[in-house]
Amino acid sequence: MDLRFENLQKAYEGKLVLNLHEGTIKSGSRTAVIGPNGAGKSTLLNLIAGLDTPNAGHIYYSGSLNIPAREITLVFQSPYLISTTVERNIAYPLKLRGWKEDAIQQRVEELCGELNLMEFRRKKAWKLSGGETQKVALARALSFHPKLLLLDEPTANIDPATTGEIEKMLETINQREQTTVVLITHNLAQARRVCDRCLFLKDGELVEEGSAEELLLHPRKALTAKFIAGELLI
Amino acid sequence: MDAIGQGIAEAFRLIASGDAEIFEIVGLSLYVSCLSVLISTCAGIPAGIFLGIHEFRGKGILVRLIYTFMSTPPVIAGLTVFLILMRRGPLGRFQLNYTPTAMIIAQICLVTPIIIGLTYNIVKEKAPVISRLGITLGAGSPARMKLLIYEMRVGLTTAVVSGFGRAISEVGAVMIVGGNIKGMTRVMTTYITELKGMGNYERAIAIGLILLTLSFLINAVLYHFQERESR
Ligand SMILES: Nc1ncnc2c1ncn2[C@@H]1O[C@H](COP(=O)(O)OP(=O)(O)OP(=O)(O)O)[C@@H](O)[C@H]1O
Ligand SMILES: [Mg+2]
Repeated sequence: MDLRFENLQKAYEGKLVLNLHEGTIKSGSRTAVIGPNGAGKSTLLNLIAGLDTPNAGHIYYSGSLNIPAREITLVFQSPYLISTTVERNIAYPLKLRGWKEDAIQQRVEELCGELNLMEFRRKKAWKLSGGETQKVALARALSFHPKLLLLDEPTANIDPATTGEIEKMLETINQREQTTVVLITHNLAQARRVCDRCLFLKDGELVEEGSAEELLLHPRKALTAKFIAGELLI
Repeated sequence: MDAIGQGIAEAFRLIASGDAEIFEIVGLSLYVSCLSVLISTCAGIPAGIFLGIHEFRGKGILVRLIYTFMSTPPVIAGLTVFLILMRRGPLGRFQLNYTPTAMIIAQICLVTPIIIGLTYNIVKEKAPVISRLGITLGAGSPARMKLLIYEMRVGLTTAVVSGFGRAISEVGAVMIVGGNIKGMTRVMTTYITELKGMGNYERAIAIGLILLTLSFLINAVLYHFQERESR
Protein backbone atom coordinates (compact mmCIF):
# COMPACT_ATOMS: atom_id res chain seq x y z
CA MET A 1 0.00 0.00 0.00
CA ASP A 2 1.45 3.37 -0.86
CA LEU A 3 0.71 6.54 1.03
CA ARG A 4 0.58 10.13 -0.02
CA PHE A 5 0.10 13.24 2.14
CA GLU A 6 -1.05 16.60 0.93
CA ASN A 7 -0.93 19.70 3.10
CA LEU A 8 -1.39 17.54 6.15
CA GLN A 9 -1.83 19.59 9.31
CA LYS A 10 -2.52 18.70 12.91
CA ALA A 11 -2.83 21.12 15.79
CA TYR A 12 -3.22 20.42 19.48
CA GLU A 13 -4.60 23.16 21.68
CA GLY A 14 -4.11 25.68 18.90
CA LYS A 15 -0.48 24.75 18.33
CA LEU A 16 0.47 23.31 14.98
CA VAL A 17 2.45 20.11 15.68
CA LEU A 18 2.44 18.62 12.21
CA ASN A 19 2.61 20.45 8.90
CA LEU A 20 3.57 18.34 5.89
CA HIS A 21 3.24 19.97 2.46
CA GLU A 22 3.56 16.74 0.61
CA GLY A 23 5.14 13.36 0.97
CA THR A 24 4.98 9.85 -0.36
CA ILE A 25 5.66 6.46 1.10
CA LYS A 26 6.04 3.88 -1.63
CA SER A 27 4.32 0.54 -1.56
CA GLY A 28 6.59 -2.20 -0.28
CA SER A 29 9.14 0.25 1.13
CA ARG A 30 10.56 0.28 4.64
CA THR A 31 10.57 3.86 5.83
CA ALA A 32 12.22 5.14 8.99
CA VAL A 33 10.74 8.26 10.58
CA ILE A 34 13.35 10.02 12.69
CA GLY A 35 13.47 13.32 14.51
CA PRO A 36 13.76 14.84 17.98
CA ASN A 37 11.19 14.40 20.75
CA GLY A 38 8.01 16.29 19.99
CA ALA A 39 8.77 16.47 16.26
CA GLY A 40 5.34 15.07 15.40
CA LYS A 41 6.37 11.52 14.48
CA SER A 42 3.73 9.77 16.59
CA THR A 43 1.16 12.32 15.49
CA LEU A 44 1.87 11.40 11.87
CA LEU A 45 1.51 7.68 12.52
CA ASN A 46 -1.70 8.19 14.49
CA LEU A 47 -3.17 10.14 11.59
CA ILE A 48 -2.19 7.44 9.11
CA ALA A 49 -3.67 4.74 11.35
CA GLY A 50 -6.93 6.65 11.71
CA LEU A 51 -6.50 7.12 15.46
CA ASP A 52 -6.77 10.84 15.00
CA THR A 53 -8.09 13.18 12.31
CA PRO A 54 -6.08 15.94 10.68
CA ASN A 55 -7.17 19.58 10.97
CA ALA A 56 -6.43 20.03 7.30
CA GLY A 57 -5.10 18.11 4.34
CA HIS A 58 -5.45 14.58 3.13
CA ILE A 59 -3.87 11.17 3.30
CA TYR A 60 -4.29 8.96 0.23
CA TYR A 61 -4.10 5.22 0.73
CA SER A 62 -3.15 3.74 -2.63
CA GLY A 63 -4.88 6.71 -4.19
CA SER A 64 -8.02 6.50 -2.08
CA LEU A 65 -9.15 8.87 0.66
CA ASN A 66 -10.94 6.06 2.50
CA ILE A 67 -8.82 4.51 5.16
CA PRO A 68 -8.64 0.73 4.67
CA ALA A 69 -8.80 0.14 8.43
CA ARG A 70 -8.67 -3.64 8.10
CA GLU A 71 -5.38 -3.61 6.19
CA ILE A 72 -3.43 -1.23 8.39
CA THR A 73 -2.05 -1.79 11.84
CA LEU A 74 0.02 0.07 14.38
CA VAL A 75 2.29 -1.34 17.07
CA PHE A 76 2.86 0.95 20.06
CA GLN A 77 5.95 1.35 22.19
CA SER A 78 4.15 -0.09 25.22
CA PRO A 79 1.56 -2.32 23.63
CA TYR A 80 -1.69 -3.23 25.34
CA LEU A 81 -2.30 -6.95 25.37
CA ILE A 82 -5.80 -8.25 25.96
CA SER A 83 -6.01 -9.86 29.41
CA THR A 84 -6.02 -13.41 28.18
CA THR A 85 -3.48 -15.87 26.78
CA VAL A 86 -0.80 -15.11 24.20
CA GLU A 87 -2.54 -17.34 21.63
CA ARG A 88 -5.85 -15.57 22.00
CA ASN A 89 -4.16 -12.20 21.61
CA ILE A 90 -2.63 -13.27 18.32
CA ALA A 91 -5.89 -14.87 17.21
CA TYR A 92 -8.05 -11.83 18.00
CA PRO A 93 -7.70 -9.94 14.68
CA LEU A 94 -8.35 -13.20 12.83
CA LYS A 95 -11.53 -13.88 14.81
CA LEU A 96 -12.64 -10.35 13.89
CA ARG A 97 -12.09 -11.20 10.26
CA GLY A 98 -14.10 -14.38 10.50
CA TRP A 99 -11.27 -16.84 9.93
CA LYS A 100 -12.00 -20.54 10.48
CA GLU A 101 -10.77 -22.02 13.75
CA ASP A 102 -8.17 -24.34 12.18
CA ALA A 103 -6.81 -21.60 9.93
CA ILE A 104 -6.45 -19.42 13.02
CA GLN A 105 -4.63 -22.18 14.90
CA GLN A 106 -2.25 -22.68 12.02
CA ARG A 107 -1.52 -18.98 11.67
CA VAL A 108 -0.93 -18.57 15.42
CA GLU A 109 1.51 -21.46 15.39
CA GLU A 110 3.34 -20.11 12.38
CA LEU A 111 3.85 -16.72 14.04
CA CYS A 112 4.80 -18.18 17.42
CA GLY A 113 7.38 -20.28 15.62
CA GLU A 114 8.84 -17.35 13.71
CA LEU A 115 9.03 -15.09 16.75
CA ASN A 116 10.19 -17.76 19.22
CA LEU A 117 6.98 -17.54 21.23
CA MET A 118 6.11 -21.25 21.22
CA GLU A 119 6.73 -21.77 24.93
CA PHE A 120 4.57 -18.75 25.86
CA ARG A 121 1.56 -19.68 23.77
CA ARG A 122 -0.68 -20.56 26.71
CA LYS A 123 0.81 -18.00 29.07
CA LYS A 124 -1.34 -15.13 30.34
CA ALA A 125 -0.40 -11.84 28.72
CA TRP A 126 0.21 -9.98 32.00
CA LYS A 127 2.94 -12.40 32.99
CA LEU A 128 5.18 -11.61 30.00
CA SER A 129 8.33 -9.51 30.10
CA GLY A 130 8.52 -6.30 28.09
CA GLY A 131 10.33 -7.95 25.19
CA GLU A 132 7.92 -10.89 25.10
CA THR A 133 4.97 -8.49 25.21
CA GLN A 134 6.38 -6.56 22.27
CA LYS A 135 6.85 -9.74 20.23
CA VAL A 136 3.28 -10.82 20.96
CA ALA A 137 2.02 -7.40 19.90
CA LEU A 138 4.00 -7.73 16.67
CA ALA A 139 2.68 -11.25 16.05
CA ARG A 140 -0.87 -10.01 16.65
CA ALA A 141 -0.34 -7.11 14.26
CA LEU A 142 1.07 -9.38 11.56
CA SER A 143 -1.51 -12.15 12.01
CA PHE A 144 -3.89 -10.87 9.36
CA HIS A 145 -1.20 -10.01 6.77
CA PRO A 146 -1.59 -6.22 6.92
CA LYS A 147 -0.61 -4.27 3.83
CA LEU A 148 0.75 -1.43 5.94
CA LEU A 149 2.58 -1.92 9.22
CA LEU A 150 3.21 1.15 11.37
CA LEU A 151 5.54 0.90 14.36
CA ASP A 152 6.03 3.58 17.01
CA GLU A 153 9.39 2.94 18.69
CA PRO A 154 8.77 -0.80 18.96
CA THR A 155 12.19 -1.60 20.43
CA ALA A 156 12.72 1.37 22.72
CA ASN A 157 12.94 -0.72 25.91
CA ILE A 158 13.96 -4.02 24.37
CA ASP A 159 17.26 -5.89 24.72
CA PRO A 160 19.57 -6.28 21.68
CA ALA A 161 18.74 -9.95 21.05
CA THR A 162 14.98 -9.38 21.03
CA THR A 163 15.46 -6.20 19.00
CA GLY A 164 17.32 -8.35 16.49
CA GLU A 165 14.44 -10.83 16.34
CA ILE A 166 11.94 -8.03 15.76
CA GLU A 167 14.09 -6.40 13.07
CA LYS A 168 14.52 -9.74 11.32
CA MET A 169 10.77 -10.29 11.37
CA LEU A 170 10.16 -6.86 9.84
CA GLU A 171 12.54 -7.63 7.00
CA THR A 172 11.05 -11.07 6.49
CA ILE A 173 7.47 -9.90 6.10
CA ASN A 174 8.53 -6.98 3.95
CA GLN A 175 10.36 -9.36 1.58
CA ARG A 176 7.79 -12.14 1.69
CA GLU A 177 4.54 -10.18 1.64
CA GLN A 178 5.66 -6.80 0.31
CA THR A 179 4.21 -5.24 3.47
CA THR A 180 4.87 -1.51 3.60
CA VAL A 181 6.68 -0.74 6.86
CA VAL A 182 6.87 2.65 8.56
CA LEU A 183 9.09 2.66 11.62
CA ILE A 184 9.57 5.47 14.12
CA THR A 185 12.90 5.03 15.85
CA HIS A 186 15.46 6.98 17.81
CA ASN A 187 17.99 4.28 17.03
CA LEU A 188 19.68 5.54 13.89
CA ALA A 189 21.65 2.32 13.46
CA GLN A 190 18.35 0.49 13.47
CA ALA A 191 16.95 2.88 10.88
CA ARG A 192 19.88 1.98 8.63
CA ARG A 193 19.67 -1.74 9.33
CA VAL A 194 15.95 -2.08 8.73
CA CYS A 195 14.89 0.68 6.38
CA ASP A 196 15.55 1.70 2.80
CA ARG A 197 13.89 5.12 3.09
CA CYS A 198 14.08 7.77 5.77
CA LEU A 199 12.08 10.85 6.71
CA PHE A 200 13.53 13.43 9.07
CA LEU A 201 10.91 15.49 10.89
CA LYS A 202 11.48 18.49 13.11
CA ASP A 203 8.91 20.83 14.64
CA GLY A 204 6.20 19.14 12.61
CA GLU A 205 7.93 19.83 9.30
CA LEU A 206 9.53 17.38 6.91
CA VAL A 207 13.12 18.59 6.81
CA GLU A 208 14.66 15.94 4.64
CA GLU A 209 13.64 12.79 2.85
CA GLY A 210 15.72 10.24 1.01
CA SER A 211 17.23 6.81 0.98
CA ALA A 212 18.10 5.72 4.50
CA GLU A 213 21.73 5.12 3.63
CA GLU A 214 22.17 8.54 2.05
CA LEU A 215 20.19 10.57 4.56
CA LEU A 216 21.87 8.98 7.55
CA LEU A 217 25.42 8.95 6.17
CA HIS A 218 25.48 11.99 3.89
CA PRO A 219 22.62 14.29 4.87
CA ARG A 220 22.06 17.20 2.55
CA LYS A 221 20.59 19.59 5.13
CA ALA A 222 22.63 21.06 7.98
CA LEU A 223 19.78 20.41 10.43
CA THR A 224 19.75 16.73 9.57
CA ALA A 225 23.50 16.49 9.95
CA LYS A 226 23.31 18.15 13.35
CA PHE A 227 20.56 15.80 14.50
CA ILE A 228 22.46 12.75 13.37
CA ALA A 229 25.62 13.95 15.05
CA GLY A 230 23.61 14.34 18.27
CA GLU A 231 24.22 18.08 18.36
CA LEU A 232 20.71 19.24 17.64
CA LEU A 233 19.22 21.08 20.57
CA ILE A 234 15.45 20.98 20.62
CA MET B 1 -22.23 -14.64 77.18
CA ASP B 2 -24.64 -17.48 77.80
CA ALA B 3 -27.37 -15.81 75.77
CA ILE B 4 -25.06 -15.61 72.76
CA GLY B 5 -24.04 -19.26 73.01
CA GLN B 6 -27.66 -20.29 73.35
CA GLY B 7 -28.56 -18.03 70.46
CA ILE B 8 -26.04 -19.66 68.19
CA ALA B 9 -27.15 -23.17 69.21
CA GLU B 10 -30.78 -22.23 68.64
CA ALA B 11 -29.85 -20.70 65.31
CA PHE B 12 -28.38 -23.95 64.05
CA ARG B 13 -31.40 -25.86 65.36
CA LEU B 14 -33.77 -23.51 63.52
CA ILE B 15 -31.84 -23.75 60.29
CA ALA B 16 -31.56 -27.52 60.52
CA SER B 17 -35.26 -27.92 61.36
CA GLY B 18 -36.15 -26.18 58.10
CA ASP B 19 -38.34 -23.56 59.80
CA ALA B 20 -40.77 -22.53 57.08
CA GLU B 21 -41.09 -18.89 58.14
CA ILE B 22 -37.33 -18.40 58.10
CA PHE B 23 -37.00 -19.85 54.65
CA GLU B 24 -39.82 -17.68 53.37
CA ILE B 25 -38.09 -14.59 54.73
CA VAL B 26 -34.71 -15.56 53.28
CA GLY B 27 -36.44 -16.30 49.98
CA LEU B 28 -38.12 -12.89 49.86
CA SER B 29 -34.84 -11.14 50.75
CA LEU B 30 -33.07 -12.89 47.91
CA TYR B 31 -35.94 -12.24 45.51
CA VAL B 32 -36.09 -8.51 46.25
CA SER B 33 -32.33 -7.96 46.22
CA CYS B 34 -31.60 -10.15 43.18
CA LEU B 35 -34.30 -8.53 41.10
CA SER B 36 -33.32 -4.99 42.10
CA VAL B 37 -29.66 -5.73 41.35
CA LEU B 38 -30.58 -7.29 38.01
CA ILE B 39 -32.55 -4.23 36.96
CA SER B 40 -29.89 -1.86 38.32
CA THR B 41 -27.24 -3.77 36.37
CA CYS B 42 -29.19 -3.59 33.11
CA ALA B 43 -29.58 0.17 33.56
CA GLY B 44 -26.36 1.01 35.38
CA ILE B 45 -23.71 -0.68 33.24
CA PRO B 46 -24.86 0.91 29.95
CA ALA B 47 -25.25 4.26 31.72
CA GLY B 48 -21.76 3.99 33.23
CA ILE B 49 -20.27 3.07 29.86
CA PHE B 50 -22.09 5.97 28.18
CA LEU B 51 -20.80 8.42 30.80
CA GLY B 52 -17.27 7.05 30.51
CA ILE B 53 -17.13 7.36 26.73
CA HIS B 54 -19.08 10.50 25.87
CA GLU B 55 -18.43 14.12 26.68
CA PHE B 56 -21.39 16.46 27.05
CA ARG B 57 -22.41 19.60 28.91
CA GLY B 58 -23.22 19.09 32.56
CA LYS B 59 -21.36 15.79 32.73
CA GLY B 60 -19.19 16.95 35.61
CA ILE B 61 -22.22 17.81 37.72
CA LEU B 62 -23.95 14.56 36.79
CA VAL B 63 -20.93 12.51 37.84
CA ARG B 64 -20.72 14.35 41.17
CA LEU B 65 -24.41 13.71 41.76
CA ILE B 66 -23.98 10.01 41.04
CA TYR B 67 -21.04 9.85 43.43
CA THR B 68 -23.24 11.48 46.06
CA PHE B 69 -26.08 9.05 45.41
CA MET B 70 -23.65 6.15 45.80
CA SER B 71 -23.79 6.79 49.52
CA THR B 72 -27.40 7.86 49.95
CA PRO B 73 -28.63 6.75 53.39
CA PRO B 74 -31.15 3.95 52.76
CA VAL B 75 -33.81 5.65 54.90
CA ILE B 76 -33.71 8.68 52.62
CA ALA B 77 -34.08 6.53 49.51
CA GLY B 78 -36.89 4.67 51.27
CA LEU B 79 -38.65 7.84 52.32
CA THR B 80 -38.43 9.35 48.85
CA VAL B 81 -39.83 6.25 47.20
CA PHE B 82 -42.52 6.03 49.88
CA LEU B 83 -43.63 9.61 49.27
CA ILE B 84 -43.79 9.07 45.54
CA LEU B 85 -45.76 5.84 45.88
CA MET B 86 -48.10 6.87 48.72
CA ARG B 87 -51.76 7.21 47.91
CA ARG B 88 -51.62 10.99 47.53
CA GLY B 89 -48.23 10.84 45.79
CA PRO B 90 -47.58 11.12 42.06
CA LEU B 91 -47.64 7.34 41.53
CA GLY B 92 -50.22 6.67 44.21
CA ARG B 93 -52.78 5.07 41.96
CA PHE B 94 -50.60 1.96 41.58
CA GLN B 95 -50.91 1.30 45.35
CA LEU B 96 -47.41 -0.11 45.56
CA ASN B 97 -46.41 0.82 49.10
CA TYR B 98 -46.09 -2.16 51.43
CA THR B 99 -45.48 -4.55 48.54
CA PRO B 100 -42.26 -6.29 47.43
CA THR B 101 -42.44 -4.18 44.25
CA ALA B 102 -41.98 -1.00 46.29
CA MET B 103 -39.03 -2.62 48.06
CA ILE B 104 -37.47 -3.48 44.72
CA ILE B 105 -37.95 0.09 43.49
CA ALA B 106 -36.34 1.50 46.63
CA GLN B 107 -33.37 -0.82 46.32
CA ILE B 108 -32.97 0.03 42.63
CA CYS B 109 -32.57 3.65 43.75
CA LEU B 110 -29.83 2.61 46.13
CA VAL B 111 -27.97 0.19 43.88
CA THR B 112 -28.09 1.83 40.44
CA PRO B 113 -25.81 4.77 41.37
CA ILE B 114 -23.27 2.34 42.80
CA ILE B 115 -23.19 0.32 39.60
CA ILE B 116 -23.09 3.44 37.39
CA GLY B 117 -20.33 5.04 39.47
CA LEU B 118 -18.10 1.98 39.62
CA THR B 119 -18.65 1.20 35.92
CA TYR B 120 -17.90 4.81 34.96
CA ASN B 121 -14.60 4.69 36.83
CA ILE B 122 -13.39 1.58 35.04
CA VAL B 123 -14.56 2.77 31.62
CA LYS B 124 -12.84 6.13 32.04
CA GLU B 125 -9.58 4.35 32.68
CA LYS B 126 -9.84 1.58 30.08
CA ALA B 127 -11.86 2.94 27.16
CA PRO B 128 -9.23 5.18 25.50
CA VAL B 129 -6.59 2.44 25.42
CA ILE B 130 -9.00 -0.28 24.30
CA SER B 131 -10.51 1.89 21.63
CA ARG B 132 -7.07 2.71 20.16
CA LEU B 133 -6.10 -0.94 20.26
CA GLY B 134 -9.36 -1.98 18.61
CA ILE B 135 -8.91 0.50 15.78
CA THR B 136 -5.37 -0.68 15.07
CA LEU B 137 -6.56 -4.28 14.86
CA GLY B 138 -9.45 -3.47 12.54
CA ALA B 139 -12.29 -3.79 15.05
CA GLY B 140 -15.47 -1.86 14.23
CA SER B 141 -17.30 -0.12 17.03
CA PRO B 142 -19.49 -3.08 18.09
CA ALA B 143 -16.38 -5.27 18.31
CA ARG B 144 -14.57 -2.55 20.27
CA MET B 145 -17.45 -2.35 22.73
CA LYS B 146 -17.33 -6.12 23.15
CA LEU B 147 -13.58 -5.97 23.76
CA LEU B 148 -14.03 -3.16 26.28
CA ILE B 149 -16.64 -5.16 28.22
CA TYR B 150 -14.41 -8.22 28.11
CA GLU B 151 -11.47 -6.24 29.49
CA MET B 152 -13.65 -4.83 32.27
CA ARG B 153 -15.18 -8.16 33.24
CA VAL B 154 -13.59 -8.37 36.68
CA GLY B 155 -14.36 -4.75 37.53
CA LEU B 156 -17.95 -5.03 36.34
CA THR B 157 -18.52 -8.16 38.39
CA THR B 158 -17.14 -6.37 41.42
CA ALA B 159 -19.55 -3.49 40.79
CA VAL B 160 -22.54 -5.83 40.61
CA VAL B 161 -21.51 -7.71 43.73
CA SER B 162 -20.99 -4.44 45.62
CA GLY B 163 -24.50 -3.44 44.59
CA PHE B 164 -25.86 -6.75 45.81
CA GLY B 165 -24.03 -6.36 49.11
CA ARG B 166 -25.67 -2.98 49.57
CA ALA B 167 -29.13 -4.30 48.69
CA ILE B 168 -29.16 -7.43 50.83
CA SER B 169 -27.75 -5.70 53.90
CA GLU B 170 -29.73 -2.46 54.03
CA VAL B 171 -32.68 -2.17 56.33
CA GLY B 172 -33.84 1.45 56.17
CA ALA B 173 -35.36 1.50 52.70
CA VAL B 174 -37.18 -1.83 52.80
CA MET B 175 -38.49 -1.02 56.26
CA ILE B 176 -40.02 2.28 55.17
CA VAL B 177 -41.60 1.15 51.91
CA GLY B 178 -42.23 -2.48 52.90
CA GLY B 179 -43.25 -2.10 56.50
CA ASN B 180 -41.95 -5.52 57.62
CA ILE B 181 -45.40 -7.17 57.21
CA LYS B 182 -45.30 -10.82 58.17
CA GLY B 183 -45.67 -13.13 55.18
CA MET B 184 -45.73 -10.15 52.80
CA THR B 185 -42.79 -7.79 53.01
CA ARG B 186 -40.70 -9.20 55.83
CA VAL B 187 -37.04 -9.65 54.88
CA MET B 188 -34.00 -10.70 56.88
CA THR B 189 -32.83 -7.27 57.95
CA THR B 190 -36.22 -5.93 58.99
CA TYR B 191 -36.95 -9.18 60.80
CA ILE B 192 -33.72 -8.96 62.77
CA THR B 193 -34.64 -5.44 63.84
CA GLU B 194 -38.04 -6.60 65.03
CA LEU B 195 -36.71 -9.71 66.78
CA LYS B 196 -34.23 -7.61 68.68
CA GLY B 197 -37.04 -5.32 69.77
CA MET B 198 -38.95 -8.31 71.08
CA GLY B 199 -35.89 -9.68 72.88
CA ASN B 200 -35.96 -12.83 70.74
CA TYR B 201 -32.20 -13.01 70.34
CA GLU B 202 -31.98 -16.66 69.22
CA ARG B 203 -33.99 -16.11 66.06
CA ALA B 204 -32.22 -12.78 65.47
CA ILE B 205 -28.86 -14.54 65.64
CA ALA B 206 -30.13 -17.33 63.38
CA ILE B 207 -31.19 -14.86 60.69
CA GLY B 208 -27.97 -12.91 61.18
CA LEU B 209 -25.94 -16.05 60.59
CA ILE B 210 -27.86 -16.86 57.42
CA LEU B 211 -27.33 -13.30 56.15
CA LEU B 212 -23.61 -13.52 56.86
CA THR B 213 -23.34 -16.92 55.21
CA LEU B 214 -25.05 -15.63 52.07
CA SER B 215 -22.71 -12.65 51.90
CA PHE B 216 -19.77 -14.95 52.41
CA LEU B 217 -20.86 -17.27 49.62
CA ILE B 218 -21.41 -14.47 47.14
CA ASN B 219 -18.06 -12.91 47.92
CA ALA B 220 -16.37 -16.31 47.71
CA VAL B 221 -17.73 -16.75 44.19
CA LEU B 222 -16.51 -13.26 43.25
CA TYR B 223 -13.11 -13.93 44.75
CA HIS B 224 -12.83 -17.18 42.84
CA PHE B 225 -13.68 -15.40 39.58
CA GLN B 226 -11.17 -12.61 40.23
CA GLU B 227 -8.47 -15.13 41.04
CA ARG B 228 -9.20 -17.21 37.98
CA GLU B 229 -9.06 -14.17 35.70
CA SER B 230 -5.83 -12.77 37.07
CA ARG B 231 -3.70 -15.84 37.62
N1 LIG C 1 -3.14 14.48 22.63
C1 LIG C 1 -2.34 15.54 22.65
N2 LIG C 1 -2.75 16.69 23.24
C2 LIG C 1 -1.96 17.78 23.24
N3 LIG C 1 -0.76 17.82 22.68
C3 LIG C 1 -0.28 16.72 22.07
C4 LIG C 1 -1.05 15.52 22.04
N4 LIG C 1 -0.33 14.59 21.36
C5 LIG C 1 0.83 15.19 21.02
N5 LIG C 1 0.86 16.46 21.45
C6 LIG C 1 1.96 17.41 21.21
O1 LIG C 1 2.30 17.34 19.87
C7 LIG C 1 3.71 17.44 19.68
C8 LIG C 1 4.18 16.26 18.84
O2 LIG C 1 4.00 15.09 19.60
P1 LIG C 1 4.41 13.65 19.05
O3 LIG C 1 3.96 12.68 20.07
O4 LIG C 1 3.90 13.47 17.67
O5 LIG C 1 5.99 13.73 19.02
P2 LIG C 1 7.04 12.60 18.68
O6 LIG C 1 7.82 13.06 17.51
O7 LIG C 1 6.38 11.28 18.59
O8 LIG C 1 7.98 12.67 19.96
P3 LIG C 1 8.71 11.49 20.78
O9 LIG C 1 9.96 11.20 20.07
O10 LIG C 1 8.97 12.13 22.09
O11 LIG C 1 7.77 10.34 20.86
C9 LIG C 1 4.30 17.49 21.06
O12 LIG C 1 4.65 18.81 21.33
C10 LIG C 1 3.20 17.02 21.98
O13 LIG C 1 3.27 17.69 23.21
MG1 LIG D 1 6.31 9.54 19.79
